[in-house]
Amino acid sequence: MAYTHQCIASLARLSLASATRPTTTSTIPRYLAPSVVQSRWKSAGTQAMQAKEREKEKLKKKRKQNRFKDYKHAVPSKEEQYSLCDAMRYLRAAEVGRPPKSVTYEVSLKVRTLKNSPVLRNRIRLPYPVKNDTRIAVICKENSGAMAEARAAGAVAFGEESLFEMIRKNSSNLPFNRLICHSDSEPALKKANLGRILGPKGLMPSLKTNTITRSVKALMHEMVGAENYRERIGAIRMPIGNIQFTPKMLAENVKALIAAIKENITVLEDRVSKDLIEVVLTSTNGPGFPLNGGFSSTDEKVLPAHLSTAM
Amino acid sequence: MVNPGKRMHILKAKLLDLRHGPGAAILPPEITRIHLDFALRWNDGHYGPRYAGALTLFPNGEEVCPISTADTVPSFPFPPHRKFWKICLPRLKYWNPAIPMLVNRFADQSLPATMSIYFRKAEEEAEATGRNALPLAQQPHSSTEGEHPAPPPEKGERVVTIDMKGVHSDAILAEFMRKTGATAIHPTPDEEVEMRQVEELRERGAVDRAIMKQWLDNKRNQERMMALARQEAEAIKMANQ
Repeated sequence: MAYTHQCIASLARLSLASATRPTTTSTIPRYLAPSVVQSRWKSAGTQAMQAKEREKEKLKKKRKQNRFKDYKHAVPSKEEQYSLCDAMRYLRAAEVGRPPKSVTYEVSLKVRTLKNSPVLRNRIRLPYPVKNDTRIAVICKENSGAMAEARAAGAVAFGEESLFEMIRKNSSNLPFNRLICHSDSEPALKKANLGRILGPKGLMPSLKTNTITRSVKALMHEMVGAENYRERIGAIRMPIGNIQFTPKMLAENVKALIAAIKENITVLEDRVSKDLIEVVLTSTNGPGFPLNGGFSSTDEKVLPAHLSTAM
Repeated sequence: MVNPGKRMHILKAKLLDLRHGPGAAILPPEITRIHLDFALRWNDGHYGPRYAGALTLFPNGEEVCPISTADTVPSFPFPPHRKFWKICLPRLKYWNPAIPMLVNRFADQSLPATMSIYFRKAEEEAEATGRNALPLAQQPHSSTEGEHPAPPPEKGERVVTIDMKGVHSDAILAEFMRKTGATAIHPTPDEEVEMRQVEELRERGAVDRAIMKQWLDNKRNQERMMALARQEAEAIKMANQ
């Protein structure tokens, strides 16, 4: 049997509930309303409209799927591009008074590419090298023809076991900054287990980096004064010249680099499609200028000779 | 890659700044080269020609002038009257690209800080002789080790020097303009419009940044309050158990 205060409590709750939850404003009670009365439905539309809708959905989905597959890129308009001499004029002004040893022109080539596609990487020998401190070591069979070739071409170190021993002993202070390997010595190199030491330095010879060869002489000739480039996050960045270069020298370097990269792209063409979108010239401390491919300055008074004075 | 619109706004502002402001002037044709000699650090009166951090007092007790010219060079975050090299020289170089402007710095702070301006005597016409005939690699260049002090004048050249020790860059520029007879460059109407646009963008950015900061602060505040409340609730729960 229920106590009276319990009843009162439950009544109080009821009254409270009715106060907090206002009743619907409609005058017809819900159970009296016919079931067909509905506030509003989305109109189904004609068949063509439905098809259009479906098409839209599909496109949306596709866009969503493709969204993060390639690196973000944007194509700047023509008005935002500069000729080489204009860019050089600004950059030389921005770098005034700095020792030329510590300042370089740099170039950044934006490439439209998928994230999972093979990257562009190769070696290039610029017409006017930026720096010339290539010291090559050659892994080759002792007393072989390749070793004589290496010695003649001016390698700083060569040999097989002796070289491995040297690398193991003073791995922190190697006398060379490029390492190539004769293809006969490749098994020995694999057995030597030097990947731990050479890998992080980027010196490990491999077919991918084009540093294992049959002809040591030709490769060494190609490597002296050559620069490696590699596409990273949709762009290739590399130094292209000293601040003291004349416009002509710089133009030749840029042209050579672009030609090499275009060739590289055509080689990869059957596997992936890549596009060179933009070439941006900058310097160590200066702003970046998208190039329009022109050479001479927009100001007729500024000649290339004016941009070739000492810095 | 940064969105191109944003990138171009930034580049435009930078280029306008490089073209116009103190130091934008065209030098007369008889000037062959400009050479600055000063020390690597700013102590002992070498602050005028080079960049120095925002210190309020120099070691000799001299007070730095208040930042009065800040509105003329708005994009530089540091007081602009102490750095002839960083503020005026790029603009001079932009308007006179053919004239070599070398900066020779050295470690000894006690040496004088001087600017040498080389004038060609009017009757002798310019041709590649002497210094300029050498290949670029052998010509004197800017240096941080005092390798190339101001060279003696060549035949048919005279040198005018400006003492830069203990002088602010504004004063250096004024003396430079007087001694060289350079004609100052003023922005064209188009460029003035552009400059105004850049300024507007900057103001707009400051306002937006303030709004954004307030919103973020509010959000963080709320989160902190929530965390605090949750902690208290936990504590009460623990106490009750």
